Amino acid sequence: MYNRGFRCDGRMRLDYRPMEVETDVVSHASGSARLRLANTDILVGVKTEIDTPYPERPREGKIEFFVDCSANATPAFEGRGGEELGTEISNSLATAYQSSQTFDLTALCILPGQQCWKLYIDILILECGGNLFDAVSLAVKAALHNTRVPKVKGACLDGGTVDLQLSDDPYDCCRLDVSDAPCLVTLCKIGDHCVVDPTAEEETCSSGSVVIAITEKSLVTSVFKTGVGSFHPQTLIDILKVGQTIGLSVNKALRAALLEEEQQGRKKECFGFLK
Amino acid sequence: MDRTATLTKKETSGHESQLGLDTKADRLTDHVKTGVVSQAKGSAYIEQSNTKVVCSVFDPREIPRKSGYSVNGELYCEFKFAPFSCIQWRSHQPDAFEKECSLILRRSLEPAVCRHEFPNFQVDVYALVLENDGSALAAAITCAALALADASVPMYDLVVAATLGVHGDKKFMDPTVEEESLCNILPPDGRSRNHGIITAAFSPAHQQMSEFAQSGAMDIDCATSSIQLLREACESIYLLSQQCLLKGVTKMLKKKQKEIKLDLSSDRIAC
Repeated sequence: MYNRGFRCDGRMRLDYRPMEVETDVVSHASGSARLRLANTDILVGVKTEIDTPYPERPREGKIEFFVDCSANATPAFEGRGGEELGTEISNSLATAYQSSQTFDLTALCILPGQQCWKLYIDILILECGGNLFDAVSLAVKAALHNTRVPKVKGACLDGGTVDLQLSDDPYDCCRLDVSDAPCLVTLCKIGDHCVVDPTAEEETCSSGSVVIAITEKSLVTSVFKTGVGSFHPQTLIDILKVGQTIGLSVNKALRAALLEEEQQGRKKECFGFLK
Repeated sequence: MDRTATLTKKETSGHESQLGLDTKADRLTDHVKTGVVSQAKGSAYIEQSNTKVVCSVFDPREIPRKSGYSVNGELYCEFKFAPFSCIQWRSHQPDAFEKECSLILRRSLEPAVCRHEFPNFQVDVYALVLENDGSALAAAITCAALALADASVPMYDLVVAATLGVHGDKKFMDPTVEEESLCNILPPDGRSRNHGIITAAFSPAHQQMSEFAQSGAMDIDCATSSIQLLREACESIYLLSQQCLLKGVTKMLKKKQKEIKLDLSSDRIAC
């Protein structure tokens, strides 16, 4: 049955499970999003802080990812158990967002060489149902889309230290441009074929997967392999091509969903954590 | 010493006009040597131009902090830059980049090691970069595979790795530190949007790619065409690794033969 393209839950090889995304779920964060991909549940919160830029990159802001695999997800994550997986996911996100073409860090600059915004992107894995990389990257993109960075009204130099005045109006803020933010697509190799969006069971019976980060403009920003298997170069080329087409459609779908949510405005139904 | 194998890289001048490959005249020799650390079960040292990496492998030991039984053994890899190896001082504690490199190192070596031969045990692989002149991770992967072979860890094949830097329409094989930092930035003139670094690990005997790590931003065609270039680079490094291992084994056999002869002669004197 598998060779004819069917999977245990009735999907075809390149089908995703149903996804739900909701932004602005955490009131204290500058931006937040919650994404449910069948059994996988991810919560992302973005906080903005003022920081000094790196001396070799004075016109750029900073961005930092942190993934917390909560013990709520599986007992294996108790204590420091989820640290390795968390580091892997945060490193993969950092690599995917490294290029200036994906996320323009110059937009986070306040005073070159003195002050810049630093975005702390904290990802909480509430439930683990397979395909963590994809879910996390989509949730991060949604949270960044939702992030509101306060506007700086004025700045004065007071004896070497900079004194910034931020706008008092909570609605006076600027949005971030996430049109080029990448989405990670996991392609899991089972037998001779590769499947998209593996469940936890499918992940355990695969020899290896390739994760590819694709932007809306069809740029590949990160590729890496997970698992213990190896690939023939031709297989890898085929996987990359499939990953590119899937990545483009996933990016489009997320964009459409976020725009739809925004259009609902104040009348939008807030489900929060009850659904 | 005697176990050093040297490879002179051939100039790829024939390809230069087609692909924009940039070869530097001074990046001609690579040196590889096994058995450099006496206290380790197996070790290897590699020099690729000015990049110097030493790798040690230790005996299998019980997996710490684990209570259940695992059918396959584990590889614990650590990749570290020595504090004086890069242009800027590096902390003694591994930072995020070093942790990522350790992960890539482990993923590259795992498919080639017969992990079912040491169930419930862990083999430690420590790679230390003494001097970083670019492509340190690829050098560490090649070095670590040789160290594992030197430590008599059962393996399916030797793993070799190479790095490719992309900047616009130029491709650099085994980039230096300056070329690597160039490839991390977008080309300023806006002609092309491709830039990035690709590290790939390959097992030539089985024609399997055990790791492909890309960073930066590039078109899918750029990424797929680099696979072929990296494969060719890996094939040439593979010859070097094989020669080095062969020399190491012959040297060890000769030493054992000499010891046996000496033992026999001392018996005759005693009688």
